[in-house]
Amino acid sequence: MTASVGRTSWPALGVVVAAAALAPLVFTDFFVSVILTKSLWLGVAAASLIFLSAYGGMVSLAQVGIYGVAGMTFANLVVADGGAAAAWSPWIATIAAIVVAVAVGLFFGVIAARSVGIYFLMITLAFSVLVYYFFSQVTQLSGFGGVNNPDLPSLVGQPGQDPAPLYYTTLVVAVLVFLGLRYVSRAPFGLALQGLRDEPARMRALGFNVTRHRILAFTLAAFIAAVAGVLSVWYNGRIAPGSINLAQTIDILIIAVIGGLYRLEGAWVGALTYALLDNYSREWTPTVGDVLGAERFNTILGVVFLIIVLLSPGGLVGLWERVRGLGGRGPGPPGEVAREPAPAEAAK
Amino acid sequence: MKGIRLLALIGAVLALGLVAGCGDDDDGGGGGGGGDQAAEGGGDTIKVGFLSDCEGAFGSFFEPTASGFNQALIDKAGAKPASKKPSEGVTGATVAGKQIQIVGYGCSDGTADKAIEETRRLVEQEGADILVGPLSGDEGIAVANYAKDHPDKTFINGIAGAQDATLKVQAPNFFRYHPDGAQWSAGLGDYAYNELGWKRAAIIGDDYSFPYTSLAGFVAEYCAIGGKITKRIWAPLGEKDYSSYISQIPDDVDGLYVGIGGSGLINFVKQYKQQRGEVDTDRMMGNVFWDDPLVLKEVGNDLVGGTTSAMTAADSDDPDVTAYIDRLRKSYGKELAGLGPSVFTYGYYTAGQALIKGLEAVNGDISDQKKLQAALAKVRLSGDEAPYGDVRLDENHQAISDVFLKRIVKDKTGDGVADVATFRRIPEVNQTFGGFFTAEAPPPDRNNPTCEKRQPPPWVGKAEEVSFGT
Amino acid sequence: MATAATSAERAEPILHLRGIGRRFGGVVAVSDVDLTVRAGERRAILGPNGAGKTTLFNLISGEYPPSTGTVELFGRDVTAAPARTRARMGLSRTFQTSRLFGGLSVEDNLYLAVLGVGDGHLRLVKTGADGELRDKARAMAEDVGLGDRLDVMVSELSHGEQRQLEVGMARVAQPKLMMLDEPAAGLSRAERVTLTETLLALDPSVTLILIEHDMDVALRVAEWVTMMHDGRVIVEGTPAEIRANETVHALYLGSHG
Ligand SMILES: Nc1ncnc2c1ncn2[C@@H]1O[C@H](COP(=O)(O)OP(=O)(O)OP(=O)(O)O)[C@@H](O)[C@H]1O
Ligand SMILES: [Mg+2]
Repeated sequence: MTASVGRTSWPALGVVVAAAALAPLVFTDFFVSVILTKSLWLGVAAASLIFLSAYGGMVSLAQVGIYGVAGMTFANLVVADGGAAAAWSPWIATIAAIVVAVAVGLFFGVIAARSVGIYFLMITLAFSVLVYYFFSQVTQLSGFGGVNNPDLPSLVGQPGQDPAPLYYTTLVVAVLVFLGLRYVSRAPFGLALQGLRDEPARMRALGFNVTRHRILAFTLAAFIAAVAGVLSVWYNGRIAPGSINLAQTIDILIIAVIGGLYRLEGAWVGALTYALLDNYSREWTPTVGDVLGAERFNTILGVVFLIIVLLSPGGLVGLWERVRGLGGRGPGPPGEVAREPAPAEAAK
Repeated sequence: MKGIRLLALIGAVLALGLVAGCGDDDDGGGGGGGGDQAAEGGGDTIKVGFLSDCEGAFGSFFEPTASGFNQALIDKAGAKPASKKPSEGVTGATVAGKQIQIVGYGCSDGTADKAIEETRRLVEQEGADILVGPLSGDEGIAVANYAKDHPDKTFINGIAGAQDATLKVQAPNFFRYHPDGAQWSAGLGDYAYNELGWKRAAIIGDDYSFPYTSLAGFVAEYCAIGGKITKRIWAPLGEKDYSSYISQIPDDVDGLYVGIGGSGLINFVKQYKQQRGEVDTDRMMGNVFWDDPLVLKEVGNDLVGGTTSAMTAADSDDPDVTAYIDRLRKSYGKELAGLGPSVFTYGYYTAGQALIKGLEAVNGDISDQKKLQAALAKVRLSGDEAPYGDVRLDENHQAISDVFLKRIVKDKTGDGVADVATFRRIPEVNQTFGGFFTAEAPPPDRNNPTCEKRQPPPWVGKAEEVSFGT
Repeated sequence: MATAATSAERAEPILHLRGIGRRFGGVVAVSDVDLTVRAGERRAILGPNGAGKTTLFNLISGEYPPSTGTVELFGRDVTAAPARTRARMGLSRTFQTSRLFGGLSVEDNLYLAVLGVGDGHLRLVKTGADGELRDKARAMAEDVGLGDRLDVMVSELSHGEQRQLEVGMARVAQPKLMMLDEPAAGLSRAERVTLTETLLALDPSVTLILIEHDMDVALRVAEWVTMMHDGRVIVEGTPAEIRANETVHALYLGSHG
């Protein structure tokens, strides 16, 4: 086991996946679909954010914009109600959607890669807002009331009737995304990415092209976001500008932060927590006069979010590790630990 | 060891989900409406889900919409309000001996995705047999599509006005007992061309789906008679500075149709006055937002003389209307009763009335919802069921009903706020405008429908002059 | 020492600074420095705090461009070339305060240092080439005394270990010119001795430029000393000459005990 941000425990992953595979036998169709399938694709979207943040030190709000491009492209290329309805095969449309979104991601990356911190956050936020407005304005693409009932690959069947095929498809994709990103994090590209997260000046001095590396990391994350975008259309059976609005951008960020911005697993832990809270807090929220009622469930979500952020910057995954007190300190921001040791100046 | 901990974490979260995921079906009081005391016995209970918006642009209409729907149950199903807050539910609702249980007051945020999630929660998790809602356009299309995939459930639209939900989707189990956004504009084209003598007009609106539909109703009728639309101006939704759009309004037109909503309309009117000296209301009409109470309060006095339209008439002194408002006041107080004439409250009210009539027709037996759906298709609302005018459905399950033309007038009530005077009833407005709107035609957008002279809608020339309370 | 200096003088100059200067807003950090370093030379740069030593390093390594003057490295004008180009030409450096990858292991840090001067920065898959790079990384870890700390996260290393790793990172890329910025800072006496021995044992073909406040380290390792003050070079000479120089004493040695 290498001591770094990336640690995989194969037996644990195996058990989780096996348990997930049995879920349709245990849970209602509703739960499998609205909680589990949704968690899985939201997790993929959050994973694209966490990948950039955990390994690249870049917190991006562009992921929803990019998955929106993928989702809209897919929905327009297949037979659907609204949009261009180009009637391509769903698989070819999937590939095309991912290619287009990755190209857009590359373009965004070129613009954003030189910025860091709050500026990076703002620029990427602007991307998502831009994509949202673009599709709101161009109704030829976003349809009147969204693009509805797109043709889906036969593999996922009819999610409305039987959620299992889509659930398993999403599960496989999520596992592949997780393993793929873990693998990449140990490959030269991923290690160098972590290097420039910690010390970009050092990376330059070692001979790396830091800007190019950041652009390509952003592009790789765009690929993952694009996959999530296509899955979101398969899951929702529609996409509208409202599917990719600012609220959704914030939701994905909340999921990533709840799960933990420093570990990939956090994406799915956060997504599952979010899906459960979003669905059940509507029933559980106590009615307190006119202040807190069923319609104020977002307050509950906000409070949970706040508590987690205050207790643990590493999200639920970090909190868990800290509660167990194992592995020394909980996973903090990896970029910051390097600056902890007494600097040379102090010893002089 | 690290992995085991993570496993346990995910396990814990899942366990939480398991508890939540399995423990809902026998939970009688589930959903936001805790007050409904429905019986447990499945066969004797009809489960109804309510869906509206409590967040987003229309979030403030959550309680009004709930009050409208509840009032129908109070009127016709012997229900009592559980509290002064409509979303707390009702108690003791029964139809044909079956208890009506509201399984939840679902809350969306104006987006289709959220509407569907809430629909799924209410239908699939809370076990609703029938869903009443949603509130806004995009949501309506999504729910109609969902309905298509769930033929064993029945859906009655709340007040979502998108034309496509019935015209294009045509789900056999989705019903809309109120006119759509284009129907709301019926009669204005006729009035503009034939009464006001507008030969050429311009339109201006917010750049999104509802104004497209709303303006489509005007364009379709006005152009059919012979009017010309020389300019279509679209401003981004939520625009603050309309000056550049105002300067695009051509001088050589006889009139302007305004499809700007909410706070945008208030800004538009103020800036129009600044830029052009006055709001020349005899050359202007507006869509359903013009007699919105908030708009009247802010800029009503500038709009005096302008014309607008909708399926309700706030000044109506029809006994059915006044009784309807009185009943609302008794159930939920003055404030919510004041919103009784709003299309939001009224749309959900007629939805509730239609549902009860349909259930009565099948004697409360919903074991085969096809029968309920067949009954709903035949439901006609009249008298106290539809105080603003009779409603029946066309073959797409879309309402055919009356629409009112109204004029903004100087304050009549002494509160300093301009009022509304209804002056025309357009009878029997149908969705297709006499075959103009079809499932195949491109949906309304910036450039559609195109402006062409053709066979006018059947109601042109048939408007009845009305006058309330004079 | 004097003989060594003459041998260095005969060798090729590999670094040539002409009239180099750098200002930060109103602060003139380095001004009008000319410097020539020949292949295989051992050069120390001394000077009090704020003299401009680190800035000079940054100008040579390409961290930022000079305000005036030119930099010639290995016979090529690199004034406009980015840091990564200079690194890949054979220049490596350490930083005054450690700049290590705290979230990665010791081995990964050294691995990145080898990878940097090679190809395949963007590879998404591991290949056989990585095995060789990792062998080099592990050998260097052994060399700098971190052989048994390979898998430890760098943020968990002691300060001394981090300084050792800094030097290891510079050496592992097998540079032709190596620049160390205060490698002994914060080290214990014993650690300094080890460091001095390591530096003395370096391959004689490697050129070394050293910034060091510790005279024991600097004057033992260096064969030629450049003395800076207020951004300028004020004296150059052999260690013996520097020890004897009055100005140096007044400015620096005296104040540094
Ligand atoms: N990035 C910068 N921005 C502004 N001023 C700087 C910057 N870098 C260095 N300086 C200033 O330039 C001068 C020279 O600094 P430099 O770090 O080169 O000195 P030094 O000789 O390395 O000192 P020390 O022995 O303390 O490391 C100092 O006055 C410093 O404050
Ligand atoms: Mg320095």
